[in-house]
Amino acid sequence: MSIMRVRWGPQHPVSGQWAFWLDVDGDIVVNMEPDIGYTHRGIEKVAENRTYIQNVPVVERTSVFDAGNIVFGYVQAVEELMGIEIPERAKYIRTIVGEMSRIVSHLYGLGLLAIAVGFETMLMWFINDRELFLDLFEMLTGARITYSFFIPGGVLHDLPQGFYDEAMRRLDYFERRLKDYWKMFFLNRTFITRTRGVGVLKREDAIRLGVVGPNLRASGVEADVRKDEPYAAYDQIDFIIPTEKEGDAYARGGVRFHELEQSVSIIRQALKKIPDGKIRVKVPITPTPPKGEAYSRVETARGEIGYYIISDGSNRPYRVKISAPSFRNLLAMPFLSRNVPMADIPTIYLSLDLIPLDVDR
Amino acid sequence: MNIETIIESLVALFINRPFIEMLIKVLIFPGLMFPLLFVVFAVWFERKLLAKVHLRIGPLHVGPGPLGGIFQLIADALKLLQKEIIVPYNAHKILYNILPLAMPMISLAAMAFIPVAPFPSVGPVDYLVVFYTPYNILVVLALFAIHPFLVIGVGWASGSKYTTMGALRAAYQLLAYEVPVMLSAACVVMVTGSFDLIKIVESQANIWYILLLPIAFLVFFVSMMAELGRRPFDIPHAEQEIVYGWATEFTGVHYVCVMFAEYVNLCVASCLVTLLFLGGWLGPVLPPAAWFLIKFGIVVVFFLMGRGVYPRLRIDQLLNAGWRILIPLALIQIFIILVLAKFAPWILPVTFVGG
Repeated sequence: MSIMRVRWGPQHPVSGQWAFWLDVDGDIVVNMEPDIGYTHRGIEKVAENRTYIQNVPVVERTSVFDAGNIVFGYVQAVEELMGIEIPERAKYIRTIVGEMSRIVSHLYGLGLLAIAVGFETMLMWFINDRELFLDLFEMLTGARITYSFFIPGGVLHDLPQGFYDEAMRRLDYFERRLKDYWKMFFLNRTFITRTRGVGVLKREDAIRLGVVGPNLRASGVEADVRKDEPYAAYDQIDFIIPTEKEGDAYARGGVRFHELEQSVSIIRQALKKIPDGKIRVKVPITPTPPKGEAYSRVETARGEIGYYIISDGSNRPYRVKISAPSFRNLLAMPFLSRNVPMADIPTIYLSLDLIPLDVDR
Repeated sequence: MNIETIIESLVALFINRPFIEMLIKVLIFPGLMFPLLFVVFAVWFERKLLAKVHLRIGPLHVGPGPLGGIFQLIADALKLLQKEIIVPYNAHKILYNILPLAMPMISLAAMAFIPVAPFPSVGPVDYLVVFYTPYNILVVLALFAIHPFLVIGVGWASGSKYTTMGALRAAYQLLAYEVPVMLSAACVVMVTGSFDLIKIVESQANIWYILLLPIAFLVFFVSMMAELGRRPFDIPHAEQEIVYGWATEFTGVHYVCVMFAEYVNLCVASCLVTLLFLGGWLGPVLPPAAWFLIKFGIVVVFFLMGRGVYPRLRIDQLLNAGWRILIPLALIQIFIILVLAKFAPWILPVTFVGG
């Protein structure tokens, strides 16, 4: 049978804003080439023309699904350039926002994994419970998705009145829901048949391809910036890094699910331990860091993000280089999509939790 | 001949009991009106049911109060009928235009052979059925079996890659599941000793076949779900993989026809399950047609629920399930019937000749 070349995207129900070229032999995909660049906005170049604080909403647009953690790395790099140490309370608030952002992003990612195998109910349930945390974001920051809450020097607002009780109430409810999810979703026989053994990424391949984040941990590598190089308040909080050995789509979903549980526990501990004090140190409205360079990395929901910033002593960065997690995970996609059935392509794609926005920047 | 005699003869021709009965049968109950209303109601009910499962609200407008959204399908259909018919550049023009129109015709034709209840009449017992033949189960299953060929034709005639893939998947799936449908229907026919759906229902007066032949019911129900392409088996339409399968290129009238045919097929399949295994219109107190509609409704809910609770299977897993599980199960059921006929014939409603 001759090989048919199919274009999968960008106008396809689940492809997102990019395309794949699939070489299909019958129902088997023999080769796959990603075609990226549909959402390239030149964020790195835009960042060179704005001041350090104006850049916060710009870099947030790298991946709005995980707005908290994306900005986290940028503000840390700027603080390193300026030599600022932020107050303890700000560190805890940042930890809480970062973990809530991780939960929101993972719920979205798991919902998309469910839709890849045609499980609409799970998508709706996950999206529904995402509201719990979006409402908390609204309470804390005034915005639901793109809150631009972190600024060099600390955070914008203190925890509002009643936030502790409201957050605890929602976390209790969410933990009960997580038990249902495990039964409904991860113990569903059809879901297991569709995802077990699909897109197996072995430990050595994962390391060789430079995969990061939950995808790497699902292949049995215990790597997490929050433990390896603790930032913010993560060194004072007790949590574990969930890993799986299998490295298939089910394991990647499972790692995300267990990270949800860990995030809930981290938010609880942080809310209990949070010290009193100031929420930011005084930073001028247009900060001018001295000449130099800084690198900062944080663990986002999709994996490690790196910011490399060079300052030439002016009030604008000379260069901002973003090493985005989805771009690094993208390399695994053609590797895993060789000699698999056509029906497994969406499962592999969405189990890697790739976001075209993040790849193109 | 004056005008009065003409009017009298016309009245005698049309205003008589057999003609009105025929009109009711053809146009209202098992005939045209029933599937049409079923489609409108089933689409609305599916949306509402899935919305409840999804923790959503579902359609609210275009309809009164709790029935909000019930006329949405009519509005959608009217809008789609006004749309331009786009024929793809690579398509086979004639087949592309004819085949989708043939689909609802064949589905409605199958509906015409299904008896739904005895007609309330004073004379000899009459049944609500458009065309009566003693071999009606064969006719219905044969009309059902035409659909895979129409689907393959549509997929090929559209001349697009995704429709070709969807058509091939549909061909694999529908042909594979034709066999268990036939085998499990054969179990019922063997026990009854007749191809007549009316006889099949009447032989269930003592015990429904869902209790007597549970394996055959299971095989028939699951295979029918696969034939209809409902959720765990909606592989030919798999939106996440091949856009909309063999129906990807359709717009306007063609799309309306394809969707209509799918829901009429659901109606036919639910009727078959009700008649073959659930005792059709038999039941105490209520009129027979009401019993039929109640059982029919329950079967439809089970067909629709699949979308709420199952992910989709992959085509190879589906074919494995069909060839390795369902067909052996149906054969086991046939074997059980034969053993019963030999050693315990009093269990079966009809004694085998020479058994």
